[in-house]
Amino acid sequence: MSSHKQSKDQGGLSGFGREAGSLAMSGPSASGERAEGLAYFARFGVDERMLREAIACALTRGGDWADLFFEHGVSQSIALRDGAVNAASSGVSLGVGIRVVSGHQTGYAYSEDLSREAVLSAARSAALIAEGAQPSATPQSFNLTPHSARYPIEREWMSVGVDQKIPILQRLNREAFDADPRIQKVQVSMSHSDSVIFIVESSGATHFDRQPMTRMAMSVTAVQGEGDQVRRESNSANIAARAGFEFLTEDRLTSLRQKAVERTLFLFDAEIAPVTGELPVVLGAGAAAILLHEAIGHGMEADFNRKDISIYSERVNQRIAPEGVTIIDDGTRQGDRGAINVDDEGVDGQQTVLVEDGILRSYMHDRISAKHYGVAPTGNGRRESFRHAPVPRMRSTYMTAGQHDPQDIIKSVKKGVYAESFTNGQVMIGAGDFTFYIKTGYMIEDGRLTRPIKDTNIIGNGPDILERTDMVGSDFAFDHGGWVCGKDGQSVPVSLGMPTVRVAGITVGGVS
Amino acid sequence: MSELLDQARRVAEQALSLGAQEAKVSLSSSRGVSVEWRDGEIERLQDHTDHGLSVSLFVDGRFSSHGTSDLRPDAVEAFLKDSIALTRYLEEDACRSLPDPARYEGRAEVDLELCDPSYREVSADQRRDEASSLEELIRARATEELKGKEGELTSVSCSVGDHYGRSARVHTNGFEGAREGSSFYVSAGLTLKEPNGKRPLGSAFTYRRHRADLRSLDELALEVAQDATQKLNAQKLQTGKYTVIVKAEKVGRLLGYLLAPLSGAALQQKRSLFEDKLDAQIASPLLTIRDNPHRHRGLSSALWDRDGFATAPRAIIEQGVLKTFLIDDYHAKKMSTEGSAPVWATGASLHNLEIELGELPLSGLVNEVGDGVLIDRFLGGNSNPSTGELSLGCGGRLIRGGELTEAVTEFNLSGRFDQLWSQLVMVGADPYPEGQPCPSCVFEGVQLSGV
Repeated sequence: MSSHKQSKDQGGLSGFGREAGSLAMSGPSASGERAEGLAYFARFGVDERMLREAIACALTRGGDWADLFFEHGVSQSIALRDGAVNAASSGVSLGVGIRVVSGHQTGYAYSEDLSREAVLSAARSAALIAEGAQPSATPQSFNLTPHSARYPIEREWMSVGVDQKIPILQRLNREAFDADPRIQKVQVSMSHSDSVIFIVESSGATHFDRQPMTRMAMSVTAVQGEGDQVRRESNSANIAARAGFEFLTEDRLTSLRQKAVERTLFLFDAEIAPVTGELPVVLGAGAAAILLHEAIGHGMEADFNRKDISIYSERVNQRIAPEGVTIIDDGTRQGDRGAINVDDEGVDGQQTVLVEDGILRSYMHDRISAKHYGVAPTGNGRRESFRHAPVPRMRSTYMTAGQHDPQDIIKSVKKGVYAESFTNGQVMIGAGDFTFYIKTGYMIEDGRLTRPIKDTNIIGNGPDILERTDMVGSDFAFDHGGWVCGKDGQSVPVSLGMPTVRVAGITVGGVS
Repeated sequence: MSELLDQARRVAEQALSLGAQEAKVSLSSSRGVSVEWRDGEIERLQDHTDHGLSVSLFVDGRFSSHGTSDLRPDAVEAFLKDSIALTRYLEEDACRSLPDPARYEGRAEVDLELCDPSYREVSADQRRDEASSLEELIRARATEELKGKEGELTSVSCSVGDHYGRSARVHTNGFEGAREGSSFYVSAGLTLKEPNGKRPLGSAFTYRRHRADLRSLDELALEVAQDATQKLNAQKLQTGKYTVIVKAEKVGRLLGYLLAPLSGAALQQKRSLFEDKLDAQIASPLLTIRDNPHRHRGLSSALWDRDGFATAPRAIIEQGVLKTFLIDDYHAKKMSTEGSAPVWATGASLHNLEIELGELPLSGLVNEVGDGVLIDRFLGGNSNPSTGELSLGCGGRLIRGGELTEAVTEFNLSGRFDQLWSQLVMVGADPYPEGQPCPSCVFEGVQLSGV
């Protein structure tokens, strides 16, 4: 079924990103090459003359600045289904995106052909955004800027043969079937990608980064009962990080399998929340940070605020949450899915305090919005690939721990809902309305977790919900799932974390 | 086009020469241009050229699929070699093979008019002028619609774009197909600001194969202005069971939940609640859905599906009775080996849905309902395809005395999607003119959770 162009002014998060593409033994790590910067892309015919000509061409009509974003990405995925590792896919992505910025305006063009003619043609297209009579200055030299190394790899994925990966999937499959006779189907997939980027600014600064990503997912289907009483349930779990093969420790694999099985079997005893209306909701530590991502995160992306279309526009340095609530967006967490050494505009990955003790302190900026607000960019300029212009995006978004004992938080609720795992969320950043979908949880009755619940949507309004976040637990936890954030027709990997919190009242989409 | 097809043939031959026994090869190239406009000026100009190669390889009883945008000849050769080598490590799958070539036969000989030659003539100035004109129209309409309401106009955005693409596909057991297509779109957004700081957003779009078929700027301006102003001062909804009208442009989402469990993958993996429901009642008798892959200028029109099967119009649901599953070749083979009888590959793809209409426009439905809720947007939410449970965030308007009244927001629709479709009591005569042309639908006894 066809669908229309995605609205630019909405955001959405899902816990199930696209499966990776295909194997490329000719990728960056398979060959063992450690070339960086321009030397890496020399194999594709890119040289300093091309850089100089492309920048000059891009700035022919003027413009404040321009950049070139070269990218070479390889990915591979292998999957087990019906007991056999009999499906694999891989992908190779190569191209350049050329951007010219003039004030708030952007000219953007990309090409998957890195020949001189194609690159200059893209530069000429991007140049059309500017209308100056004079070309802007072009760099005399190019200098590679050093950045941190936040995703060290101990064991390269491409050094691990498929014959070593297959037993892992087979083992998880076997253990899942052994766990319970009701289990009928198991799917396991192992994916990794390696994306090499080279950013060239019209100032002459250049930036290079190799960005690994790995993800492992498992889904289970179980059947219970017979005849008219037969019931089916499916659920899943996944883990992801910017890491090498060493990421797949025994603990992580065991935890993945346990979660996939337990979350599926849990559903047989669970029901859609048997309550409706506004109720206290306790969000379990970790993945419950989907609340932050949807209720606050998108609304604090600076492009929306610059355009005055976010509910958080004009609210910097105002109280938007109770004391004790501090929310950070962070690109520095080593090995994290949301970690970046450098953003996709050449700005260092860094930590940005969005809300400090309840006060909105900063938006998430790209270069355009930072200039608009007269602040330094925060390293949030990200893009899905060279096919997209960067815009402010989240990285790892989390709330810091508070003072309350998480057990006391549950005990404080007479009747409400405890939310444990989630699948997706969405927000209307202007109205502030957001939702997230509880896949598993519990009723809270007289301060105790009672009946299991499932498949229940929560809806609220961001600023209202922040104001009602009245208990913050001391048990901070990070979720290591493969979260994917969508905005403006492009997706980026993100992560999130939170302690147990109580929201005093939020609308629960159960059944009465 | 013949050049692309020749290239696909060469890649297929190369795959065989490198060790594959069978292969499926697709090549594509495209170009897209767009202008995004906001508040009196261009916000972004975008221009792109794409190309790509994807292959499915059948090697020694094993299967894999791969894609690359690096089409340099030496890179393609290395790509094929590596892909074939990877495939040999996998476990065998006896169900993986190209379809029976007989399924490729019977392709309709019809010009689907997927390509508008005028795409070459659209200039940058035209796109910019169109966006600028649309903004003026929206501001004028919004000013009118805002009279007597508490809200101010904050921002207007418009996008105008067009796209042209070609593709060619070859299967080594005889399938060949090539096609080209164009598309044009115009979209608009209007952000208003309430005294409390909330900024509701209205949106509208038009998307067509041929430029002349796009809806007028006047029509878009009115739609986006009304969509935004009708969201002003939205209040929370009282929890309860309601008669609900789901507005035409949003019905597709609910339909998607009903159709997803019909796929071969869902059936074979035991994740479909409709597993034994062929020829059984799965929805209200008011629901009839057919698929027409041969609609001229249809956005999803095609002469062949993803397996290469010749496409044909067919009934999906007739008067609420399920008439077909959507089973691809691979999953049909899988289910045939797992079951006691062969399973026929019915074709996995859906193209242009045609839903049998009722007699009343939206205003007539509202009048008939009397008291209830009109849902005009969904926000997030999800469903359980194994059980049918669903819970969706919503917004819309109250219906009182047969009239649309105040805006309502921040509520959920919960229940089961199969039961919901059985509670369908009226179908409108107002197919939405964009995307899948669903009409507004009226459901009784729907659980809505608000305050």
